[in-house]
Amino acid sequence: MASKSTLRIAWRNLGRNRKRSSLALTAIAVGQFAFLAIAALMHGYMGDFHESITGPMIGHAQIHAPEWRDDRSIDLTIDDVSVVLEAVRDDPAVTNVSARIYAPVLAALTEEGFMGFVVGVDPLAESHDAGLLPDFDGAALGDGRVVVGYNFAERYGIEPGAELALVGQDVDGSIASGLFTVADVVASPVDIVNNLGIVMALGDATDMLAMYDQAHELVIHTEDVETIEETVARLSGLSPLDGLEILPWRDIVPTMVGMIEMVDVFLYIVLMIVFIAAAAGIANTMLMSTFERKHEFGMLLSLGCGPGRLARMITVEAVILGLVGVLIGTVLGLGLLAVTSQTGMDYAALGGDQETYEASFQGLNLSSLVYPKLYVSDVIAGVVAVFLTSLLSVLWPIAKVVRMEPMEAMRL
Amino acid sequence: MNAPLIGKYAVRTLGRNVRRTFLSVVGIGIGVAIAIFMTAFMKGSTQMRVRAIAESGFGHVMVAHSDWNVSRDNDLRLTGWEDELEAVRAMPGVKVAAPHARTTALLAFGTRVSGVQMLGVDPEAEAASSRLVLAVSEGRYLQDGDSDVAVVGSTIADRLDVELEDDLLVTVVDAAGEMEYAMLRIVGIVDTGSRDMDASICHVTLADVERLTKLPGAGEISVTLDEPLKMDSMVPRLKEVVSPSDDVLTWMQVVPAQGGDYQSDKGFMNMLSGTVIVVVMLGIAGAQLTAILERRREFAVLIALGMKSSQVVRLILFEAVVLAVMGAAIGLLLAWWPVHYTATVGFDFSTILGEELSMSGVLLEPIIYSIPGAWIFTHALAIALVSTLIAAIYPAVYALRTDPTSALSLREA
Amino acid sequence: MNSLRTEPRALRTALCALAFALAILALFAATVIGRETTERRVATAVYPEATESASIEGAPDVDDILRSYDDLYNSTGTKASVEITIVTPKKTRNLELRFWARGEDKALMVVDAPPRDAGTATLKVDKNLWNYLPKISRTIRVPPSMMMGSWMGSDLTNDDIVRDSSYEDDYDSEVVGRTDDPPGWKLRMTARPEAVGLWNSVEMVFADDAWLPVMAQFYDRKDRLSRTMTFGEVKVMNGRRVPTLITIIPEREEGRRTEFRYLDVEFDVELSDDTFSLSRLERTH
Repeated sequence: MASKSTLRIAWRNLGRNRKRSSLALTAIAVGQFAFLAIAALMHGYMGDFHESITGPMIGHAQIHAPEWRDDRSIDLTIDDVSVVLEAVRDDPAVTNVSARIYAPVLAALTEEGFMGFVVGVDPLAESHDAGLLPDFDGAALGDGRVVVGYNFAERYGIEPGAELALVGQDVDGSIASGLFTVADVVASPVDIVNNLGIVMALGDATDMLAMYDQAHELVIHTEDVETIEETVARLSGLSPLDGLEILPWRDIVPTMVGMIEMVDVFLYIVLMIVFIAAAAGIANTMLMSTFERKHEFGMLLSLGCGPGRLARMITVEAVILGLVGVLIGTVLGLGLLAVTSQTGMDYAALGGDQETYEASFQGLNLSSLVYPKLYVSDVIAGVVAVFLTSLLSVLWPIAKVVRMEPMEAMRL
Repeated sequence: MNAPLIGKYAVRTLGRNVRRTFLSVVGIGIGVAIAIFMTAFMKGSTQMRVRAIAESGFGHVMVAHSDWNVSRDNDLRLTGWEDELEAVRAMPGVKVAAPHARTTALLAFGTRVSGVQMLGVDPEAEAASSRLVLAVSEGRYLQDGDSDVAVVGSTIADRLDVELEDDLLVTVVDAAGEMEYAMLRIVGIVDTGSRDMDASICHVTLADVERLTKLPGAGEISVTLDEPLKMDSMVPRLKEVVSPSDDVLTWMQVVPAQGGDYQSDKGFMNMLSGTVIVVVMLGIAGAQLTAILERRREFAVLIALGMKSSQVVRLILFEAVVLAVMGAAIGLLLAWWPVHYTATVGFDFSTILGEELSMSGVLLEPIIYSIPGAWIFTHALAIALVSTLIAAIYPAVYALRTDPTSALSLREA
Repeated sequence: MNSLRTEPRALRTALCALAFALAILALFAATVIGRETTERRVATAVYPEATESASIEGAPDVDDILRSYDDLYNSTGTKASVEITIVTPKKTRNLELRFWARGEDKALMVVDAPPRDAGTATLKVDKNLWNYLPKISRTIRVPPSMMMGSWMGSDLTNDDIVRDSSYEDDYDSEVVGRTDDPPGWKLRMTARPEAVGLWNSVEMVFADDAWLPVMAQFYDRKDRLSRTMTFGEVKVMNGRRVPTLITIIPEREEGRRTEFRYLDVEFDVELSDDTFSLSRLERTH
């Protein structure tokens, strides 16, 4: 085993060749940093991707009356919705839960009627990033004010300020009607809202449709994508949810499951490629640096240093470099995380096409922000892998060096 | 020493330090190979989405009435659709052109009803361009010559409580506002695994939609291209053969939400590729810098022997270039097989994920095909050159300022 | 060959209008998110089954029977008040309305009860349909694409209400036997192969008594009994003896039933064009 003197010698060697050591250190640190940065971005992207796939329409989990999803019958409601909402909100894993009402309607600006679709939402609850109306001023809805989808407005010439008459069927089967003012036109990432949607405050919808303390759907967001299943299991045991159907997003859009898993695998492959690139760089640098010290080693050997001892010295140097490099890389990685995890990282600035993010597709705003996230397991994986790489990359030089002819080695 | 001599010296140095040269070149080569593979692979990954969209019936571009993009009105029809179809099909670069006509319809059986968006298709073109055709779980898809038959989604069949060979009564409001009725026999049932999707699928022949709506012809032509990446250049060419009252739209305009996601994806993937390239370059530069730094004494000797510092610099740079070129060549060689394989056979995710992917596999082929191109050569060279040159700058500058005597001392600085 | 009416023409016209008023969204809802009546266990009929007797000797001419059925509610102008009861497992809904109908093309209908819907009016003139909503004082024209919906919540299909006559060429009719309770004749109308419609066959029972319709059973294209219609409470209305209660019972949906009851009918009333005008529509509240 390496003795204390070996350690001291190794340390001094590294200190004496600052440039060489720092190059090796840099390679290792950069490798670890890149690994952690990409892992963090990967997790952030998956979260983002998950959201965009399931969309604000789906959320993480949903609650309905048992057969509502089959035919969307307006009378299949969740009753005593306020009690259910409160029970769900109390759960620690739930970050957001909001009620929605859906009803097809006949809409008219003048005398000519056309098809529309009312979505009653709680504007404050839906104004968070993953809601139906992100960045929307919730106070704008309510008291008869509605917003309409972008395509819907274009198609029928609906402008802000217009008066819209809506006719539908209420929960009892009677005719429901109302006059509403269009407050704004919105571009929603949800197609049906864009093409047919008339979004109104929940209160207005319940008034028009006589759905008091009732709703069609509760959309739940949990704080972590990974804990959805257990949260659903926990919530389904609550008594206010008795008789109601609660489903995780996987059961609502099963075709998306495969897609998301594929992206997950894909990103891990990418992470592996990043690691390989980093490892190649580390190995290259370490190999190069160790081989270039042939002269020095030759001298040591000729001065009586045994090959075993030499091997140990090189190894200890590699260990020190590995540890310090990994440490630096981890600190940098965590630093990046600390800086960007709240505000997000704009990858448009880094690798995308700047212009496209200014543009919007038919009113949709594109977000190029990703919120990096790192797990302890990632850090550990990186540390172990990168450290091992630096260690393994000196194996070949050591093998060569211990069998060296000192004289040969000292030749310039 | 003058230029040719520098060259000769450089080459001889490289030749004499086999291991160092080998390490350098292989190191550069591996780095370059990784970077190239990554870039080609990333390009392929974003194209997978485009392929999925095209193959679900949208095509890469679509010919539609000029008003369609805004109004999304089902009743709009193309002007001279048959001529347009022929012209589009004849255009090189077009793989399949599938005409469509849509109408809202009510399907009924017994006391049950279900409203649908009926799609009139050309069975042969549809089978060649849409993966939906693969999702037929019972019966068959439409064929040329079919009439008064329909292929419906499984959710619709469940709602109406019907099976294969049952006759549905279809009601359509025609162009004049009259109700048109017809019977449609179910010849196929589609199961995509998505309840919502299966509730929206009702395919009939184009002729049947014409007959029911009294609106002649197709409302849109979905065009699948041989080379999706050339989409932007195909659009103006297609516009030329299409009637003035019709327009050519890209899939991004047809499904803007998908287009937005696509751009986001591309940006993110670019960033990932960029990261790998940076890591690769840093790795190469590190190794090269280490190598050069160790040769300080050698350079000091050269200067002491009378070589000008500027010539030493040129020597270092020349070596860097030679190494870069060789490294790039090795890199291209190493990358050739992985890139070729993934470009032709593709990277198939279904082997990794197993059966779980079968559902969305119907609509999405879970294979990434790398996209190589002429850019590979320039990329390889650029990465190699920039890395080695970066590594050469510091020692080159250092060499200019070095004091031969201190460099020659045995003490390491 | 013979026209097959499954319920009175005038009523049909008015119901057409009502169906639009109440069911204007059905197609849209169906198109966007689909509609389905939930399947329940097969329900048994709740009315006495008209039993067949063996002989068909002395059977009257099929055409005569069907023509008399046609004439039953035939009128140049009809004015009526109707009560509609829609029974579902969850609840029972009652509507009272008045309607005026002339021919196939003109109908005006005003809802009187329940109070929540009172004042809602619907006008049908040729292919156009307007609704008047008293609560918002607005008249809105229903676009053709939304007119296809079936009667939401009730058990009539769009086929019954909206479709104009076209059964004449599509069915072959014959007397198939006698019934005992009530005494009458059973007819079967079988769809011709090229017929466009929901029913493979319809079996109707006409009582000996003035050949009043008693019951109609509808078999779908798979020859399953799909629904049953009964005609009861024969009363004298405006000089005619007509069944005033028509009940529709779907076969595979438990606990569902729709009843149409004529409270009062006047036939052959002279109705001016003015009755079927938008201004009249708006004044009816």
